[in-house]
Parts: sequence; structure tokens; C-alpha cells
Amino acid sequence: MKVLPSRSSEWVRPVVSQKPASAIIEIDRVSQVFQTSTRKDHLALSDISLTIEEGAFVSILGPSGCGKSTLLYIVGGFVSPTSGAAKIKGQAITGPGPDRGPVFQEFALFPWKTVLGNVMYGPRQKGVRATEAEAQSRALIEMVGLKGYENFYPKELSGGMKQRVALARTLAYHPEVLLMDEPFGALDAHTRTRLQNDLLNIWERDRKTVLFVTHSVDEAVFLSDKVVMMSKSPGRIRQVIDIDLPRPRRRNELLLDPRYQKYVVDIERMFDESDETGSPS
Amino acid sequence: MMSAAALTRRAAPVLACIGLLAVWQVASLALKNDSFPTAIEAIRAIPDILGDKESLINILASLRRMAIGFGVAVLVSVPLGLLMGRSRAVAAFFNPLLMVIYPVPKAALMPIIMLWLGVGDITKTLVIFLGVSLPVIYHSFEGAKAVEEKMLWSGAAMGLSAAQRLVRIVLPAALPEILTGCRTGLVLALITMITSEMIARQSGAGNILFNALDMGQYDTVFAMIIIVGAMGICLDAIFERIRARLVRWSEPQFDMPLSFS
Ligand SMILES: Nc1ncnc2c1ncn2[C@@H]1O[C@H](COP(=O)(O)OP(=O)(O)OP(=O)(O)O)[C@@H](O)[C@H]1O
Ligand SMILES: [Mg+2]
Repeated sequence: MKVLPSRSSEWVRPVVSQKPASAIIEIDRVSQVFQTSTRKDHLALSDISLTIEEGAFVSILGPSGCGKSTLLYIVGGFVSPTSGAAKIKGQAITGPGPDRGPVFQEFALFPWKTVLGNVMYGPRQKGVRATEAEAQSRALIEMVGLKGYENFYPKELSGGMKQRVALARTLAYHPEVLLMDEPFGALDAHTRTRLQNDLLNIWERDRKTVLFVTHSVDEAVFLSDKVVMMSKSPGRIRQVIDIDLPRPRRRNELLLDPRYQKYVVDIERMFDESDETGSPS
Repeated sequence: MMSAAALTRRAAPVLACIGLLAVWQVASLALKNDSFPTAIEAIRAIPDILGDKESLINILASLRRMAIGFGVAVLVSVPLGLLMGRSRAVAAFFNPLLMVIYPVPKAALMPIIMLWLGVGDITKTLVIFLGVSLPVIYHSFEGAKAVEEKMLWSGAAMGLSAAQRLVRIVLPAALPEILTGCRTGLVLALITMITSEMIARQSGAGNILFNALDMGQYDTVFAMIIIVGAMGICLDAIFERIRARLVRWSEPQFDMPLSFS
């Protein structure tokens, strides 16, 4: 299924240039088969085609085990698909690269580096001079709300703080596409809401392309331009829903907006259906 | 100012040593056995040994072999263990070999090695090397295997090559485990050092000890046991300090109070 460009022009976009939406990531008939010890050949993804436009915030939503992470890993170049191909800017994806920055749910920070050391890692690797990398990293750490924690080690931070560092670390090397795999999944509701707001603020500032995997319907609708609904066994795209809600989005306004509520209710219903049909065959 | 708790912690090992020596003294006085000198007699013999040039040369030779055996073992074993932990092919190649070597007491190999390489430094250093290698390989292997895939992926996304990931991600991530292996290896180095000198008498701390035993100089025997024991305790304490510094980032929270100042 190809997703057609659907950027509604009524959105308020203060600073960003109005260049026409062009495809940045193309996923073309990707299938993924895993050999498992119990079930031989498990079809985790079946014939997935998806196009993501530059600057879009796209969420992937679906029941557990439908292949959301696998799809994200394929785009990241961490896993190569059994068949089909993924492209970034027309180039076949053959491995990880600094144009695609992953933000994982857990365990991805370097525990032997301080917050500053973690955030500086990418820019330093790219060859940015130490003083410059440090200045940029300090600014980013402040932006994600961790000023004063520069010299803390990851083990000294809470889960929410670690996720902020993980986000800052990835933003620091300016990937064109952010790949986020349930980055807020392990957090309590309050921290989660705060991080969602922060992420939206950051995103609305520089409009990077984001591919965001989540279990949460609220989260997907609140953040995204597009929600990709997947179903399970085998993992397929069920439907792609454009979320036509004005930006910048304010949580307190949006929660009262009947359009937002309708999206959430509709998608939740679809979610329940895909969960039911998703029994192992 | 040291707190009462810190004071107790510092004093505890000293008190334990004094206690041990006291028990020894009493037991020896009670038994009145020629081959069991009192603690005071043994301690009195220590300056004689350390003041003797010959003995000192022997002990230093032991330490040198131990340092070389341990150092080379670490330099070889850490990269090998890390590679085995990250590459199935490397692990499949070396695993059977190590499984065969693992249960063999390294000292039992000495006669053969002596046959090939003589009774000199090379043989003894090689035995120390073998003794240290296995725990270091094992712990490096386990440490490397346990490195989170997401951490490596994050590195790959930042542009680190496979070799860079091994040195700059796997090595530091596995360091706590590696150093645990090295600490075990250090104690084993001391043990194999003495054992090797027992088998191939020629020089070294073990040589002094077993010669004294042969000649019935029991105060020297026990003095040497104290010296070797003290060396072990000192080396272990020094290593532990270094280890704790290197892996401060992974130690449990309560060891490192934080402040915002
Ligand atoms: N390395 C692997 N080896 C074998 N099977 C795998 C592997 N990775 C994933 N799978 C299988 O592929 C399917 C999809 O997994 P994936 O992790 O992509 O799901 P997900 O949608 O991200 O689930 P969740 O929401 O629980 O994270 C699952 O059935 C899983 O068992
Ligand atoms: Mg997942």
C-alpha cells in the first residue's frame, strides 16, 4: 500500500520553509521471516510497502508481536529483510548510518560515559571539534531539561531522565530521520506525557522525519501526522490514517477536541479488531 | 574526619590479622611442636629474609615472572575473550580447545614444558601465563556476550565500524566483568608462581620456602608463608583500588554519594 502525500496546508508552520513533501523513506514489499526454535519459519512481516515523506511524524501502531520493531530495525539497517527493500532518499539501505538515528526504549546509553559524554559521542564520531561538540551537547542537554546533570552517569538517572539523554544523544548528530521504538513505553503516565510534550516541541522546531513505534493510541494520535495501523500474524499494514489536527498541538486543547477524540475512538476500535484477528494461524 | 563506620571498616582487616596471629601464637605454644614455630618466631625471621641479598633477588625474580606472565596473559586473553563473545565462529573455534585445557591443573603441565623449555624463566612464566589466561578469557567472553545489542546498534548508527565497536563499546561495556576475571587471575598468578617454583627449584620465593622446609628451618618456612601471603593481599588490594576507579560508573549507588555542589 502506498501512502499518498496528504499534508494539509492549513497547518500553522511558523518558521519552516514550505518545500513540497517528498519521499524520504520508501519501504517496498518488505517481508521478514525468522527461524525460531519452536515454530520453523515465522513470517514476522508480510509484504510491507510504505512511503514516508520528509518531515513527517509517522507512528506505527499495532498489537504486540506484529513486527513494529522489526520494521523499524529494517529501516535502521540493523536487520536486513528476507525479501523486498527499504530505501532512504532513493538509496538502498544496507546498514546503519548517521542519517538514521535510533532511540531505543532501554539499555542503549553508554553506562561508562556521563550524560555529556553520551551526548557528545555522536558529534565527536562525526569529527566535530571537542569544544564545539561540547557546547552543542550542553545546549541539547538543557533543551531536554537536564541542565545540571551533565556529569551524572546513566545509573544515577531515573528512567525518564535516561530517555531524555537517549533522545539528546541521537539529536546531537543530526540524523535526518529519527527512529523511535517505544521510547516512552517504560515510563509512568506523568513522565510519559511530559516527554511527549517535549518531543513535540523539539520536533515542531526543526521538523525532522520521525518514525515512532508505540502501543499507545493516544500517543500516536497526539504526536503524528500519520498513523500506520498494523495487524498480526503475519505482520501487515492494515490501514494508514492521516491525522488532520492543527499544529502546534497543545495537549490540554487537543484532549477536548472532538476530532482528536474521534481519531482515538476509531483507531482503538480498529486496534481491538486487529488484536482479535491476530491469533496465530 | 572519618566516621565511626569508616573507621571500623578500615580497622577490621588489621584486627583480623592480629587475631589470626594471636591464635597462631597460642596454638603453637600449646602444641610445643618443632615444626610449628610461634608467630613471633616467624615474624622475627622476616627481616633476616628481606635483608638477605640472595633472598631478595629470588623474590624479585618471582615477582618479575609473575608480572610478565600476568601481563602477557591479560594482553592476549582479553582480546581473545572479547572476540569469542562477539563472534560465533571465533567462539566455535576456541571453545573446544579451552574446554580441554580448563580442567587440567596448569602445574601438571610443567614436567612436559620443562622437558621442552628447560627449568628457567620461560617455563615458569609460561605456566603462570596459562594459569591466568583461562579466567580472564572466560570473564571477557561472558562480558562481551552480555553487551546489549541496542548499545552496539546505537554505535553503528553513529558510524562506528565493527572494529571500533569492539574497542570502544564492547571493551568498556565488558570492563567490570573483565576486571573481575583479572582479579581472579592475579591470585592465580601468585599461586602458580609458587607452585612452579616448587616443581622447578632453581630460584624464586617458592625455592626459598621449600629449601628451608628441606633443611628444617621452620621459622623461615612460616616467615615465607607470611611474606607470600602479604604480597598476595597487597597486590589484591592495589588491584581492587584500580578496578574500583576504572568501573566507578557501574558500582552500586551507595558507594558513591552525590552532591550538586
Ligand atoms: N531475532 C528474532 N528471531 C526470531 N523471531 C523474532 C526475532 N525478532 C522478532 N521475532 C518475532 O517477530 C515477531 C515480531 O517481533 P517484533 O519485535 O518486531 O514485534 P513488535 O511489534 O515490536 O512487538 P512489541 O510491541 O511487543 O514490541 C514476533 O513474533 C517475534 O517473535
Ligand atoms: Mg517492539
